[in-house]
Amino acid sequence: MAYMLQAAQLGKTVTTAAGDLTILKDINLSVAKGESLAITGASGSGKSTLLGLLAGLDVPTTGRVELAGINLGELDEEGRARVRAEHVGFVFQSFQLLPGLTALENVMLPLELVGDAKARQRASEYLERVGLAARLGHYPPQLSGGEQQRVAIARAFACEPDILFADEPTGNLDSSTGHTINDLLFGLNEEAGTTLVLITHEERLANRCARQLQLAGGELMIASAEAIA
Amino acid sequence: MLAWRLLWRNWRSGEIKLLSVALALAVTVVSAIALFTDRLEGTLLEQSNSLLGADRLVTSNQPHRREWADEARRRDLAQTRVVHFASMVFAGDEMHLASVKAVAEGYPLRGYIDTSQTPFALEPELIERAQGIPAAGEVWVDSRLLPLLHIELGDTLQVGEGRLRATRVITSEPDGSGPFSVMGARILMNWADLERTRVIQPGSRVEYQWLLAGEEAQVSEFMQWLEPKLSEHEEVMDIENAQRRLQGTLLSGRRFLVLAAVMGVLLAGVAIALAARQFADRHINQVALLKSLGTSAGRIRGLYLAQLLILAALASLLGLALGALLQEVIARVVLKLYQIEMAPSGLIPIALSLLSGPLALVGFALPSLWFLPGVPPIKVLRQEMVIPRGAFVWQVILACAVLILLVGVFGRDLVLGLTVLAALAVVGSLASALALGLLATSRRAGAQAGSRWRLALASIQRRRGASVLQVVVFATAIMLLLSLTIVRTSLIEEWQVKVPDNAPNHFLLNIAPSQVEDFRALLTADSLKVEQLYPMVRGRLTHINDEPKPEDTLNREASLTWTAELAEDNQVVAGKWWGEWQRGEADLPGVSVEQEVAERLGIALGDRLSFSIGGLAAEAEVASFRTLEWESLQPNFYFIFEPGALDDYAPMYMTSVYLPAEKKRFINTLLTRYPTVVVIELDRIINQIRTIISQVSDGVGLVLAMVLLGGCLVLIAAVTGSIDARKQEAGLLRALGAPRRLMVGGIWIEFALLGGCAGVIAVMASEALLLGLQVFVFEVPVQPHYLYWLLTPAVSAVFVGVLGAISCRHAVTTPPAIVLREAQ
Ligand SMILES: Nc1ncnc2c1ncn2[C@@H]1O[C@H](COP(=O)(O)OP(=O)(O)OP(=O)(O)O)[C@@H](O)[C@H]1O
Ligand SMILES: [Mg+2]
Repeated sequence: MAYMLQAAQLGKTVTTAAGDLTILKDINLSVAKGESLAITGASGSGKSTLLGLLAGLDVPTTGRVELAGINLGELDEEGRARVRAEHVGFVFQSFQLLPGLTALENVMLPLELVGDAKARQRASEYLERVGLAARLGHYPPQLSGGEQQRVAIARAFACEPDILFADEPTGNLDSSTGHTINDLLFGLNEEAGTTLVLITHEERLANRCARQLQLAGGELMIASAEAIA
Repeated sequence: MLAWRLLWRNWRSGEIKLLSVALALAVTVVSAIALFTDRLEGTLLEQSNSLLGADRLVTSNQPHRREWADEARRRDLAQTRVVHFASMVFAGDEMHLASVKAVAEGYPLRGYIDTSQTPFALEPELIERAQGIPAAGEVWVDSRLLPLLHIELGDTLQVGEGRLRATRVITSEPDGSGPFSVMGARILMNWADLERTRVIQPGSRVEYQWLLAGEEAQVSEFMQWLEPKLSEHEEVMDIENAQRRLQGTLLSGRRFLVLAAVMGVLLAGVAIALAARQFADRHINQVALLKSLGTSAGRIRGLYLAQLLILAALASLLGLALGALLQEVIARVVLKLYQIEMAPSGLIPIALSLLSGPLALVGFALPSLWFLPGVPPIKVLRQEMVIPRGAFVWQVILACAVLILLVGVFGRDLVLGLTVLAALAVVGSLASALALGLLATSRRAGAQAGSRWRLALASIQRRRGASVLQVVVFATAIMLLLSLTIVRTSLIEEWQVKVPDNAPNHFLLNIAPSQVEDFRALLTADSLKVEQLYPMVRGRLTHINDEPKPEDTLNREASLTWTAELAEDNQVVAGKWWGEWQRGEADLPGVSVEQEVAERLGIALGDRLSFSIGGLAAEAEVASFRTLEWESLQPNFYFIFEPGALDDYAPMYMTSVYLPAEKKRFINTLLTRYPTVVVIELDRIINQIRTIISQVSDGVGLVLAMVLLGGCLVLIAAVTGSIDARKQEAGLLRALGAPRRLMVGGIWIEFALLGGCAGVIAVMASEALLLGLQVFVFEVPVQPHYLYWLLTPAVSAVFVGVLGAISCRHAVTTPPAIVLREAQ
């Protein structure tokens, strides 16, 4: 079985004024291509930290991460950036749209960065698919939270990533809006066959994923029999 | 291309507007001043050259050689010739020893001859700029010649063996010889008449002048070729020796412009730095996002650099255009007011201006932006993460380096730049300390204050760092403006003191001892103030302590005088003045020597000086050294003897008198009564100095306006830096039900307080800066400016209050819901 993502003995320790703080300890997991994985856990349990390590945004203190068959530990920040550009997409809890850019330009940005000549066309296509065809020229502050997150989803999928990381994508939204967003996320995911790693504290959302892992105090609890396949 | 698109989006979202305006302003200041000073210098050079009538003048007792003229022609230099001599001229029974100048076609090569049909005309509408030279058979004459010879314009006079008709009077002419040598009235005749009139006989004392003009590089190259070929009878004159008087005034004028430029650039620099900081703040998230999208740090750096360079290039072009426009406006004003066509500017200032944009960006903006590409991608997941900025020290060092570069290269004045920087360093640290202290006090005061005050003080406390920064920045801006204003005022005042309105504007020479009393009476009768009368003999210094004097200095006759009273602008700096001074063993009379000439001649106190006065020898002992002010345009002497010491040498008297313009024709009466008296019209020189002073101060006024603009920009930049946080807070407070009046009042008080603090610090700092400037740069007396101590804090509080209230108006008056949403 081909794995999209593998982590072994992953650990993260940070140095603070109060001494060393171990946030993550001995994490082992693997995600197959096209699979969806939910990571749940209490606030402060280390979910975001784990996501950062898995996506190559940060470097672990111990252990290794392999993304799309590439060992991230052997790369420097430039190398990891290349991997992200090629394989990874993100959806954040706080949307992370640039306030000075229109919805369309926000979606275009990653495409422009890789020199896509059809950036505008593809971006408007994806915005249409998330139901924002009428809001292309609007700026983020003029959009509701749900609309902003839809723009962010369009941005993530427009790059056609192999794996999508989502950190509490509905955490800032009310439940019915959250529901719409989730439908969109899973719908697009299925269509594109993208691997999905999702952080959430919502049970309902976690249940929509093929597998679930639970973090507690920086360690993985086995939440599902085949956590380590 | 992507960089262009990103730049355009940044512009549209308003994130770089402030930065662009500040950059353009920096370039505008640099280019306006660079271009203007360049043109000013060019103009002054031209004007000085017009005093000479040429770029170079070769004087000799014989005509210049034909080969030289051929060589000059080959090198494309313009040339013409003039011969000066004294000649008796007659009309009826009257005669006068005139100072004749025969000029050839093309004269003058630089400058103009102004003439009139009305004797003693002063009114501009009566004066005409001559085209060419007097026609053959005609002469142009000094107005004073007409009463001397009892003739009128149109009459003929006998010059040598020919008769020439006086057709115009000369009101001004380029003149190579100093005022003291002009003894007779001027007659300007055509070179072609020389032969017919036979005025020049073998053995006549004549001075030939060969005038040359052209591109400066070519002229000086030619002079290098020529000089080795010159004999001891030939002497080269250039503006250096023609225009010593104006040097001091010009130097401080130029320095002032440079100072203003430094301050303008500095203010713009502060605005740029603040704007860049804001830009960086807003772009931290953007960079983190770009990184999470897989953009490398190198690519991000490249993208931002490209944007900044494009921005700098655009701002430079805009700034240069604005600067060029501004200085053109002044040049037009100058042209209109003083009929002086300013010289065109060279290419160097244009190049410098274009360079100053990128340079300002590198020095002031880049340091605050440098950390941006280093923002870690994990920041997208951890919003609370604090991003370390580059070391502050580097920002300061780089900014200073750029400033020194700008001042050094384009102002060519390092001392000045360093003085300003040193003052700023002191101000920076002092202001921070003071601001912290004041804020601490305000917190204690806040506890007992009313609600508006409490709100304001709480706001200041909350943004402690930002508040201190704002106070320091306000203080710097105000200090720079204040110092500039004060320096400008005091400089202009000082210049005016040097040439007071009723300063003597005519020198009267050659008054016989027997005429002195009558003369005094005549002047007093016309209610003219009689200045001191100086006896005067012409003499040559020959030996110092029996050694021949050094050959290279004072190779001409000097005016010797004696007086008991020291003139106001003279000061004894070594030795003793008469009364305290005692004659030595040799029992020689004492002489007081001007300090600079004494230094050049290597004279010490107690030395024995030998003079030759009309063939007779005279000796004196050096009793004191004096300084004097050439700029004062008072009669000044290198050598002043003990009273009575020169009685045996048949002295003639001289004095100076102030003649208001409407009494100018009094000269006519005077000369009819005393035909031998020589009048030198200084008012023309004084007018020239005045013109230059007003040119300089006009330039300065404009520069000041630009600097003021820079100051406002800095204030705006500092205030808008805190706007984002404010909006959120204000929205929250409004949502919690705080009334609008309270919010607005709080903002007013907050900014007025900051402004007041800044005003106090600024006044102290500017006094310190001025002290440095006055002592090291302008060398003018130090005096405190009490009025500013009162005014500055008050004005600054009001101004900053208004500015803050306007800038934050939006944050406190829009409905809270919108504010909260935008602030996300
Ligand atoms: N660089 C760091 N320095 C200090 N503490 C850190 C650092 N990174 C993470 N932490 C701490 O580690 C813990 C885990 O953080 P993390 O953001 O991963 O939690 P989380 O599970 O995502 O919580 P939430 O559900 O609230 O988002 C927190 O207590 C956090 O404060
Ligand atoms: Mg989290």
